[in-house]
Parts: sequence; structure tokens; C-alpha cells
Amino acid sequence: MERDIELLLDNCINEMRKGKSIYECIAEHPQYASQLQPLLRLVQKIETLPQPEPAPEAISGTLINLGHHIAQHSTTTEKPTAVEKLRKKSSIFNIIRRPKIAWAFSAAFLFLVVLFSAATISANSVPGDILYPLKLATEKVKFLLTFNSEKKAELRLTFSDKRLQEMIAVFQQSGKLDTTLLKEMLDEAKLALEENKIPIDKASIFAAKLSHVNAYQKDVLEKIRPRVNPSNRRIVDEAINMCDSRSRWMRRMMNEENEISPDSSAPDSTGSPQQMPRSKQKSNRWQWGPGCDWMR
Amino acid sequence: MKLKSGNKDLDDEELIQLLNRAKFNDSRALGTLCAHFYSKIYRFIYYRVNAVEDAEDLTSEVCLRVVKSIHEQKGSFYAWIFRIASNMITDHYRRRVVRSNVESVGESIEEMVDAGSRQSELIEQQELRQALRRLTEEQQEVIVLKFIEGYETDEIAGMLGKSAGAVRAIQFRALTALRNMSDMEKFIEEDRKI
Repeated sequence: MERDIELLLDNCINEMRKGKSIYECIAEHPQYASQLQPLLRLVQKIETLPQPEPAPEAISGTLINLGHHIAQHSTTTEKPTAVEKLRKKSSIFNIIRRPKIAWAFSAAFLFLVVLFSAATISANSVPGDILYPLKLATEKVKFLLTFNSEKKAELRLTFSDKRLQEMIAVFQQSGKLDTTLLKEMLDEAKLALEENKIPIDKASIFAAKLSHVNAYQKDVLEKIRPRVNPSNRRIVDEAINMCDSRSRWMRRMMNEENEISPDSSAPDSTGSPQQMPRSKQKSNRWQWGPGCDWMR
Repeated sequence: MKLKSGNKDLDDEELIQLLNRAKFNDSRALGTLCAHFYSKIYRFIYYRVNAVEDAEDLTSEVCLRVVKSIHEQKGSFYAWIFRIASNMITDHYRRRVVRSNVESVGESIEEMVDAGSRQSELIEQQELRQALRRLTEEQQEVIVLKFIEGYETDEIAGMLGKSAGAVRAIQFRALTALRNMSDMEKFIEEDRKI
């Protein structure tokens, strides 16, 4: 019964929307007229209520707000590609923005600055100074980080020269000869000579440098020899002889090289290879190195 | 009798296209959707809160919610958007003290005087709106969607997630409740004299 009147009411409302009057509608259902009529009148009343329209400013204001939101949303929540994600993750700038990482970076940077400063200051230190071990450590690190044979040999020569300068400084300060430094000076020069992977085109230049270093060391040692304690003079003499021998050996090597033509690898008129100095016959490398007869 | 046909200036196909674009963050599609539904939502809310400012604020919030959660939208868009509006109204009443009816009615009358309506009609409309607000939330929704917005019963059923029969039952009970209100009697009686 109730279902019927609910359906009838709805049908009447639809019919009225199509243009029928209340009376035409209820005339078709006279048994429900008393119930339907007041309800349909109420419907008429409700439908006469004004349709409030929003202010245009309210609509435009909302649309502007939405525009801002959409703009923010599109910039903040745009899905990054896999590459962008990887870049974002690996970006150093993103990593160092984290407080702990930033602190660690700062501490490491400060440590490096202090270490670099100390290493620079220690360059003039001599045995007995606090920073001297740091100087030696720096040299070792520098040598380990050098992979080129020519540069390594050059470093050996530099270290040899530094030991000589330190020995002179110690001698000037205390009047005593530091035999350890003297030995290290000779060892470094010997190790430079034993670096056997120098390309042939640079070997002659290196040989000249080595010859010069040995000659210079010999001169310095000869100058300080008269002031050295007599008990150490024998050691100095041996060192002078060693430097002299090395210098002469290097000069002889250079002279042998100069005796051959510039294009030494080219065959002569008979078709056989030109004579190479004995030290260079077996390969394109100078035949110095461990075990070479450089004291002859 | 003036009967409304529901302002269906967007057909289903247009709506689907707009929705698809809006779900890909197409700002123009989102703007078009919000502009189109703004008036409908505004009226729906206005008849529930009976205050212009509140209706505007809530409508704006509904639009923002639509933009934020358009990716989650499924099923009927009309049902979805009116459900959002309905929830907003419920939240609105929960979180703030409702303005007194006198104030709200005063504002409404003032606006309508500006529109040129007669005083006696305005008083009648005011009383009718007050009566509508005494209905349950569900009944108010059905009455506003049916007689203010002009939707068909089936459409309302889809929006509210109910059967057409359930909507007809709510509509019948709402109109019966209004008829039984003492201040509604005069409308019915006066009309009967006519």
C-alpha cells in the first residue's frame, strides 16, 4: 500500500514535470487524491524556492586557489623517472644536506686542511723535529701514488737531494755528520738508477740528471769533508767515491749513446742493424736496474 | 509550475573525457569540472547550511577535495562529488557552532530583496527552508537533489548509492514530514482555497 503511494507520488511528480497539473495527476488516482494533493502542493512550493547562484568572485577565487594547488601538486608530486631517482639518490648535494653527513664532510675537510698545512710546514723539518716523521710519511704516500716509472725515478732523485739538504742542515746546526742521512741519500740515488722501466727516448735526459745530481752530491761532500769529525771522514770519502763513480758511469753511458746515429734502429748500408751500446742491445730500455754493473 | 531538468549541459561522453584528462592532472580539465559543478554543489550546500559564506567556503573545499582525490574517483562522478559535499556539511556541523537561524535568514532575506522578490514571498520561502532543515540529513539530500537541482529519482539513487525504491520512500517520508509540520499547514490550506 505504502509502496504504491510512494510510486504514485513519484510518477505524479514526473508527470507534472512534463506539464500536467496537480488536478490532472490526482484525477487518475482518485483513491489516493487526499494523500497526494497536499504532498504535490508542497513539491510545487519547494520548487519555487529560488536557486541561489554563487557570486562570480567566489567561483573565480576558488578556481585561482585550485590553480595554485595544481601548480604546486604538479611540481612536488611529479613522479620521477628511474634515472632521476638514481640521480637524486646519488646526488652529493642531497647526501651532504643530511646533518650527520654534512658534519662528517666538514670534519674530513678540516682534517685534510690541517694535514695539508702540517705536510707543507714539515717540508723544512729535519731529523729530531716533531714533524719530520710526517715529512717521511708524505714522501712515501706521494711515491705510492705515483705510477709512472720516470716520475718515480725523478722522485727518488728528489728524495736523495732532500736527504742531502737535511744532512747539511743538521751538520750546520750541530757540527755532526748524520751518517744515516748520508746512507739514505746514496740509497735513494741508487734506487733511482735501478728504476729500469724508463722509455729509451727519455733515458738520456734522466741519465744527465742523475749524473748531475751525483756530481753535485760529490761536490757538497767534498766541501764539508774538512769540517767532518776525523772518525767519519772515511765514510764521507766512500760516499764521495760512490758519487764520483756513478757520475762517471752515467757520463760514459751518455757518450756511448752519442756515438750511434740518431736513427739507431734503421739498418745500415749492409742491411744489418747498427751497433747499439751494450747497455741497450737486448731491448729498447736502458739496461740499468737491479744488478747492473754501474760501479765499473 | 516551473520544473527543472537538471542542468545537464555536460553529456556522459564529455564528462568521461574531462575526467580522464583531470586524472592526468590536466589543469584545464580540472578547472572545467569544478566550474561546471560549482553552482550545483553550492546550492546543495546552501540549502543545508543556509548561509552564503559557509556555502561558498564549503563549496571551495569540495572543489579542492575533488582536485586532490580525483585519482581515486571511481563509479558515478555525480554520486562521488555529492558524497564529498555531504561529508563536508557533516564535518562543518561537527567542527563549528552553527550560526543562529535568525542571522542566516536575515542574510538570505537581504540578498533576495536585492534580487527584487516580494517580502511576503520571502517570508514564505524562509519558513519553507527552515522546515526543510528540520528533516533528516538523508531526506534533505533527496529533497534538494530532486526539487532544487531537478535530478530524476534514478539519478539520485545512483548518487546516494541507494535503490530507486529507497529514494522514493525517503522522498515520500520527507514530504509527509513536511506536511505534518504545523507551519506548513497554511501553505497547503491556502492552496486548497485556490
